[in-house]
Amino acid sequence: MEAFTSLASGLSVAIQPMNLLFALIGVLLGTAVGVLPGIGPALTVALLLPITFKLDPAGSIIMFAGIYYGGMYGGSTTAILINTPGESASMATALEGNLMAKAGRGGPALATSAIGSFVAGTIATLGLTLLAPYLVEVAVSFGPEDYFALMCVAFVTVSATFGDSPVRGLSSLFIGLLLGLVGIDILSGQSRLSFGIPELYDNIEVTTLAVGLFAVGEALYVASRRHIHEEKLEAVRGSLWMTKEDWKRSWKPWLRGTLYGFPIGALPAGGAEIPTFLSYATEKKLTKYPEDFGKGAIEGVAGPEAANNASAAGTLVPLLTLGLPTSATAAMMLAGFQQYGLNPGPLLFAEQPNLVWGLIASLFIANTMLLVLNLPLVGLWVKLLAIPQPWLYAGILVFATMGTIAANPSPVELIMLAVFGVLGFLMRRFDFPIAPVVVGLILGPIAESQLRRALSISLGDPMVLLQSPISATLLGIAVIALVLPFVLKGMGRFKAVED
Amino acid sequence: MTTSPKRRIDVAGLVIALILIGLAGLVWWDMTKLQILSPYDLGPKVMPIVVSVGLTLLAIGNGIGALRGDLPPRDSLDWKPIILILGGLACLIALVAVGGGFMIGTAILFATTSAAFGRRAFLTDLLIGAVIAVFIYLLFGKLLTLSLPAGPLEHLF
Amino acid sequence: MSHFRKGLWRSALAAAAVAGFVTSAAAQMELKIMAPAAPGGGWDQTARSMQQALTQAGIAKSVQVANVPGAGGSIGIAQLVNNSKGDGNQLMVMGYVMVGALLTNKSPVTLDQTTPIARLTSEYEAIVVPASSPIKSVKELADAIKADPAKVTWAGGSAGGVDHIAAALFAKAAGADPTKINYIPFSGGGEALAAILGGKVTAGISGYGEFESQVKAGKLRLLGLTSPADKATADLPSIKAQGLDLEIANWRAVVAPPGISADQKKALMDAMDKMAKSKEWQEILKAKGWEDSYMSGDAFAKNLADEQGRTKDVLTAVGLVKS
Repeated sequence: MEAFTSLASGLSVAIQPMNLLFALIGVLLGTAVGVLPGIGPALTVALLLPITFKLDPAGSIIMFAGIYYGGMYGGSTTAILINTPGESASMATALEGNLMAKAGRGGPALATSAIGSFVAGTIATLGLTLLAPYLVEVAVSFGPEDYFALMCVAFVTVSATFGDSPVRGLSSLFIGLLLGLVGIDILSGQSRLSFGIPELYDNIEVTTLAVGLFAVGEALYVASRRHIHEEKLEAVRGSLWMTKEDWKRSWKPWLRGTLYGFPIGALPAGGAEIPTFLSYATEKKLTKYPEDFGKGAIEGVAGPEAANNASAAGTLVPLLTLGLPTSATAAMMLAGFQQYGLNPGPLLFAEQPNLVWGLIASLFIANTMLLVLNLPLVGLWVKLLAIPQPWLYAGILVFATMGTIAANPSPVELIMLAVFGVLGFLMRRFDFPIAPVVVGLILGPIAESQLRRALSISLGDPMVLLQSPISATLLGIAVIALVLPFVLKGMGRFKAVED
Repeated sequence: MTTSPKRRIDVAGLVIALILIGLAGLVWWDMTKLQILSPYDLGPKVMPIVVSVGLTLLAIGNGIGALRGDLPPRDSLDWKPIILILGGLACLIALVAVGGGFMIGTAILFATTSAAFGRRAFLTDLLIGAVIAVFIYLLFGKLLTLSLPAGPLEHLF
Repeated sequence: MSHFRKGLWRSALAAAAVAGFVTSAAAQMELKIMAPAAPGGGWDQTARSMQQALTQAGIAKSVQVANVPGAGGSIGIAQLVNNSKGDGNQLMVMGYVMVGALLTNKSPVTLDQTTPIARLTSEYEAIVVPASSPIKSVKELADAIKADPAKVTWAGGSAGGVDHIAAALFAKAAGADPTKINYIPFSGGGEALAAILGGKVTAGISGYGEFESQVKAGKLRLLGLTSPADKATADLPSIKAQGLDLEIANWRAVVAPPGISADQKKALMDAMDKMAKSKEWQEILKAKGWEDSYMSGDAFAKNLADEQGRTKDVLTAVGLVKS
């Protein structure tokens, strides 16, 4: 119960008018930058650090928390409305969310994402309050072999994004794996598939690939088919608000998404992308309306969005308890802490309880503020879709290129964006699924480096993968998830024969 | 046993298979130049081998599909808008590369894309694009001090 | 244009030029600092801190920071050498990491082509073990690595980086074969720290700042820093004072483009001298926990050359650079 009294005193810090103002500024700024792909919360916090130097620590850290959560809202808004994920973690949201928007259900999609984010953020922040010290023990005990096993689980679920042909889905995945090879191999320091181009040494940026494939590719595809198929975007069809049915279909995915997002986000190398994909795959499997997937299923938005937000709170677990920054934004928040002479880590809770609990409390407030701000805005956002099609797509392309050069002002990055755009166009034309490419780029390098680390530590003994209980369990899950559908199919056939 | 017109060999599908084979070969060739440096590391070659072999198998899979004519039907294609959009992108890239700044390029990209989607008011769109570019520059270049590629126009601000 | 007006123009320009020299030339400086990395990283923070100190202390009229990220600085330095030749207002932040990156990336542009101005800060590398580890001292770690380098696993930053080089130098100083070290590179973001805390590896090596709070909390044991023996304190023991010849620092510095005049070089060095002494800069160093290791001009140029030579030797030994 100590946690709750601390939290209450933290709330009294966060609720001071000045700090509320900082939270509001942060939330607004975060939403604004989240809209531009490439410019994420991390970059914003980095650039604001010198400006906030003069503010008091509590205020500026509260503002950073607002930017963090706000950035995620902004990223998913563009993912849903214009199929341009603002950051890689909103990619899964774009899959079904954009389809919903195109079918005139942008309102409910934005609403379920906003409410889901709120629910997940709140539960995860509660988890942070109560479980942080225990969770971090587990998180640190995750070794390279366990991460590799987790990647195996994630790989099995990729097939959920394959569409109707496994061969074409796998082809997409392997193109993603190929792109993941480009750049300097972190374990050996040698460059692969870089052809002496220094810009390629730094690996392919996930946002450049995602924006190229999704936004640019889509613009090219739609433009090329205008003469035969005038795409009619319906800004709103039916209710702008979530119906009773929508609520019924959303609440379970919200909770399941949180269950994926928070613990995986708390892992030092967990990240936000993997829980969003796990959540997407789970919802696709569990839904009562499988026919809706591929046409805009609300579960496919609710789950990943909740997972995304919950993982953001999860990232704070190792940051606050160990001083481990496990995401770019967390790293910048760490720099923010250090600027005021505070060292996040085992001693922070003891030395600076007001600040820590103030931060946790301000996360609650930022979350509430985002919900209050965003729900009334849903109507306004959806109006974006009513912009005449030429301007809408021209705007999308301008934002896509701007985000890319703002993050890295180099023509090579833009050339890559254009090439990925053409790739996205061709893949759409020949009916190859897009998402597995991005998944391959994200998962491939992690799986490879973690496996190699595990084998280096064990001096080449592969049994290390089975000796760790976590790894063995996860590998077991992966195998079951891989085999079970075939077994069930086989049994179904067997039964059919019996009958 | 006559081949129905639907079951025709899909040339585009064969080209895709060939591209995949080509990529597999590229990855393999690149892999041969790598060295294993640490005696304990599995090495940087394993993953490229996996990818290369996988791509080869998938190329075969895609090739069989193409020979069977299994590919989904495709609509005819209008090249003009694609050239317009890619042309706009190329202008932007060229301008950034030679130091012409991003504002002019952004305005051109906005106008060509808009034209690709059927609008005829090129000059108006150029202007709208320029206004958006100025807005973005002020927001991100000035407020957040990001280093956006600058050219003659940007130096005016 | 008449001769008269032309003459007037000339004298006006001359007057302006004189006036420029009379009022402090430095205060008119409009500096451009390039951070050859994305916003947020160490070099970017250094560049933006310099911007803050230079303008607040009135040393420069304006300072612009530009980011040119990519390939450990290889792209930034290429731009500096090729596009800014002779520009006396341009500086680039760089650091020890760039020395290694340029070598491993086979960069066509080298640091020899730049004009070294000044070294600003340093951070020493720290070697730590989990608190539960049986290894208690530098000597025990050295013995272990000498007995079987394969069994001593190191966690640190990317291959060819300063952590890797320091680990190889440690093995060499301990009398083991540096090519046989079992060094496991982790990507940033505390992944290496998690592996050390979780007891997955024998030892960790990185900048002391990464480990500081864990060491203070008693979760990690600090074996030593790669600082000079005379810098050691009871809390921060040096490896050298424990009898192992290993001294290395991860420093950050500024260089100017090639082809600048002696006057321009002097003006930049003066500006850096003033900045390093300014109250504003000292406050930033304290707030960020950066150690002041200011060194300018020829001393820094020689230091830079030495570091390049030593780094090349180590990287050649571990196979990352072919001689």
